Amino acid sequence: MRPVLPVGAAVALNSFSESVRNRFFTIFAVFALAAIYASVLAGVMAVDQEGRVLADMGLVLMELTVLAYALFNASSVLLREAETKTIYLVFSRPVPRWAYLGGKLGGSLLTSVLMLAVMGLMHLLLLKLRGFGVPPGYAWALAGSFLKIAVITSFALFVSLFSTSSVSTLVISGVLWTAGHFAAETRFLASQAAGAKAAVLNAAVWLIPNFQLFNARDAAGAAAALPPAAFLSAAAWVLGTYLAALWLLSRKEF
Amino acid sequence: MSRLPLLAAALLSCTAGAALSARWYVSPFPPPSEIRSAPGGAAEDMLALALGARRLFADIWFIRLMQYYGTPEQLVEEEVSENGGGLYLEFLPKSRHVLEIDPGFTAAALYSAGSLAFNLNRPKEAEELLGYALKYSPKEWKYLTMLAAIGYSKAEKPAVVAAAIAPILKDPDCPVMLKQLAAFLNKKAGNYAAAAAIYSDIAATSRDEAYVKNAKRELQILAGREAPAPAKGTAR
Amino acid sequence: MTAPAVSFTGVEKTYKRPRLLGAEYHTAVKDLSFEIQAGEITGLLGLNGAGKTTIMKLITGLLFPTEGQVRVFGRSPSDAAAKARVGFLPELPYFPPQEKPAAALAYYGRLSGLSGPELSLAVESAMHKTGLDLYAGKRVFEFSKGMLQRLGLAQALLHKPDLLVLDEPVSGLDPLAIHDIRGLLAGLNSEGRAVFLSSHSISEVEKLCARVLIMVRGTLARTVTRAQWEAAAGGLEAIFVEAVR
Repeated sequence: MRPVLPVGAAVALNSFSESVRNRFFTIFAVFALAAIYASVLAGVMAVDQEGRVLADMGLVLMELTVLAYALFNASSVLLREAETKTIYLVFSRPVPRWAYLGGKLGGSLLTSVLMLAVMGLMHLLLLKLRGFGVPPGYAWALAGSFLKIAVITSFALFVSLFSTSSVSTLVISGVLWTAGHFAAETRFLASQAAGAKAAVLNAAVWLIPNFQLFNARDAAGAAAALPPAAFLSAAAWVLGTYLAALWLLSRKEF
Repeated sequence: MSRLPLLAAALLSCTAGAALSARWYVSPFPPPSEIRSAPGGAAEDMLALALGARRLFADIWFIRLMQYYGTPEQLVEEEVSENGGGLYLEFLPKSRHVLEIDPGFTAAALYSAGSLAFNLNRPKEAEELLGYALKYSPKEWKYLTMLAAIGYSKAEKPAVVAAAIAPILKDPDCPVMLKQLAAFLNKKAGNYAAAAAIYSDIAATSRDEAYVKNAKRELQILAGREAPAPAKGTAR
Repeated sequence: MTAPAVSFTGVEKTYKRPRLLGAEYHTAVKDLSFEIQAGEITGLLGLNGAGKTTIMKLITGLLFPTEGQVRVFGRSPSDAAAKARVGFLPELPYFPPQEKPAAALAYYGRLSGLSGPELSLAVESAMHKTGLDLYAGKRVFEFSKGMLQRLGLAQALLHKPDLLVLDEPVSGLDPLAIHDIRGLLAGLNSEGRAVFLSSHSISEVEKLCARVLIMVRGTLARTVTRAQWEAAAGGLEAIFVEAVR
């Protein structure tokens, strides 16, 4: 039986190959330099807390680096394909729009996974060279970062379908990123407020994903383990924003 | 064909995601009303929350606390000591701020409580800090052990205080300041072997040159003290 | 009776551009009705803004009609079965600069549902037909305009479509490249494929097409057969100028 590569997988692999063509791996070199610089600073300033500071700084740097690349890519990929008319060559073919969108999202997530994995190995190597072991909950921290990035990437693809430029998509996605980390605080404020203010805050609680649920980085020790609800919640948000994007894409004209 | 089912499914999925996180997520952090930002630090606190980087910013605040404590406050020679002699009136608010950002930063809490209780002689502030720390880490036995040690220190029983904090010393994350304190208390109580063991551990594991240098110096002193003096007129 | 390759019935396409308050409407084509039979080469002539590209996009399912009906081999242009029988060459197609032609074609071949040995054969055949096998080792950024057009044509041929929709296929090409493309299209038509091409070049359309549709400001002003323009004084050019004035 001939192996058949589904159309969505072809789009995903093509999307991933484009990242390689764009030399996204130069980001690894930048990350390595930043991490080494941070380690020198941490060694001087944090003294006996050097291990903790190195681990925390590396994890934050990794997440922000992958976030920046993922958002930059997601906010411009569809716009770029429309501007270069590449999308004409795609949608004039029997390519279902759900497969195309799924492929673009899949390719972006594949790139994010690879970036987190490579930078994670570089980070662990640096920690080992400085005499520290694998920090507790490290794998959960990386998994949590990936879940956050998956949700925000899917959201950015959705926004890119109605925003007027990739910059505005980036800004809107950035606002959601920060709002998502304030979800617990928003819920607290909603419980303290009354009337219209409470209604607005409660609506925000329901419409903004709670990124703190995935933030295993900030948890301590055993508490870092992500519950199944984190994975399910992330899947629900990714699916929801994907469906919303598909709703826009299904009748979009080019 | 109507696309409304797509939109409805999208909203349903997002709502399900929100419902799941509402059901499962309990914030381990203090609410925003409890965060008392240090002067000029409000923006950084916002950034810590906005980026979901509480631990990193708590690290930065802790480094600042150590730098604050490590900076001589007064220039009068006899009032300045190597162990941070001085008033350091902002020590408690700065220490508490670290825990407001990351209540799981046990090492910082122990370091601050130890400094307040045993170096700055402000046991009440140390107890207040540990009380706050216990609010968000009620099962943290090291805080209870520390409180006991502070209690014993008021009775001026160095051996008892040293014994009380001994379990904390075994923790790999134990602040070196506490180890040094334990060694000092053991030495004061005449338990030179125990003091030497702790100083050896500091010399081998600490990355702070000042503590390592001090530990090596103390080991030399203890070695000189422990060498048996030849008895006068007695042949061995 | 076999369905025509393309059928437009009372088609109107109005673009809506949202503004701060309200929206701006522009009707690109109105009350358009025509047919293209299977195996026919049909040309589309018109000034800039006449609606040529709009018609091409309506056929390929990139746009949806505001009114009326478009059918491709009897089906909606959005239908996968219809799209599988259409090969589209847009004006100035873009390919990733660092890619080699075979890799670029393989991607589009997969999107057309090809895989394995069938895909490899299709890529090889398309490159050979368009004369790209001589440049297989080059990357897209090294291609001339003519080679890029050949690559664009190659991707349209991969899945052996029954209808080729070509938007300005010879735009900006040198005479030799135009000659080659013309030969290629004639050869494809001789295999039984319908070709629908738009152009600014009246002479090219004259040489290749059996029938020409002349668009003026969104409406079909005239349909001219080869016999008609060959009989007219001044040929197709005179007919075109009269139609657009």
